[in-house]
Amino acid sequence: MSSVKVEAYARALFEIAQAEGTLDRVEDELFRVARAFESNEQLRATLTDNTIPTERRQLVAEQLLGGKASDTTTQLVSLVVNSGQVRELPAIIDSLVKRASSEKKQEVAEIRSAVALSADQETRLAAALAKVTGKPVNLKVVVDPSVLGGLVAVVGDEVIDDTVRTRLDQLKTRI
Amino acid sequence: MIQYVNALLASEDPTITHHWLLPETAEIVYGGLASVIVVGALIKFAGPAIKKSFNARTEKIQKELDDAAAAKVNADSDAKNIRAALGDIAGERARMLAEADTQAAAVLTEGRTRIVAEVAELEAKAETDLSAARGRSSDELRAEISMLAALATPVVVEATLTDQTKNDLIEAFITSVGAAR
Repeated sequence: MSSVKVEAYARALFEIAQAEGTLDRVEDELFRVARAFESNEQLRATLTDNTIPTERRQLVAEQLLGGKASDTTTQLVSLVVNSGQVRELPAIIDSLVKRASSEKKQEVAEIRSAVALSADQETRLAAALAKVTGKPVNLKVVVDPSVLGGLVAVVGDEVIDDTVRTRLDQLKTRI
Repeated sequence: MIQYVNALLASEDPTITHHWLLPETAEIVYGGLASVIVVGALIKFAGPAIKKSFNARTEKIQKELDDAAAAKVNADSDAKNIRAALGDIAGERARMLAEADTQAAAVLTEGRTRIVAEVAELEAKAETDLSAARGRSSDELRAEISMLAALATPVVVEATLTDQTKNDLIEAFITSVGAAR
């Protein structure tokens, strides 16, 4: 799928969420959906399997998100599944998040952590990253047990990695 | 004389002999004269040839005797040489035996030296191989330990990462990022 098409879908989703007045929440939920889609092979295989009827795949997405995400988020994901562009879901959502951050004059900061961050920690981390980048950041936290401990922050092209996983990898290489 | 002979002959009957055994006198006379003439002729004409023949035979025999003497001398000389050669052979045999003994002793000494050197070389090589094997074993052991350590470390770290530790790590991250600029 071309980047133009991705941008078009992202803009459409963005405008719907904005019109609904739930942009912040939807953007956050979609971001988590995108990361889950990337990391869960079974989910990815199911939603991209063309042998399964589209309606059924939509139903799967709706059942997975039902009760856990807002209606708008669920409907937007269902919309992408229905359009047959589900393979591009992460790219569309990332573009949407970037657009939303840009709208708020913020830089997207993707954080990976082994455990969820408290609200206080998110606030202080956002402030610290804003201090580093010189721009306010739109924090997107992904709980990823594979990092074991610590955090890795990706802000634009900059990567700040202080995870236990990375340290272990470095230690393994040294050994 | 001739007349006497002729008269005598004329008076004799040639068909009758005077004695049953002896010849007639005239025959004796004639025979005697003829014999004298033949013997004289033999002495005169054949004597030198016979004498020459005898002399040649004598010379030939003398030559053969001289040759035999010379051959004897040569044989004596050869016998002497052979006897000397026999003596030389015994000496040569003794010399060769002595030389063989010397060479054998030299070969033995050289062989012993070589074997000692080879043993020393083998010992040195064995020592080197042993050291290398020890080094290899040590390296393999180190690699094994490293591999086990690499496998064990994440397990140990994961087991010791409590929620509090994870929270502390997050706090440390925020602090370090905040202090960066």
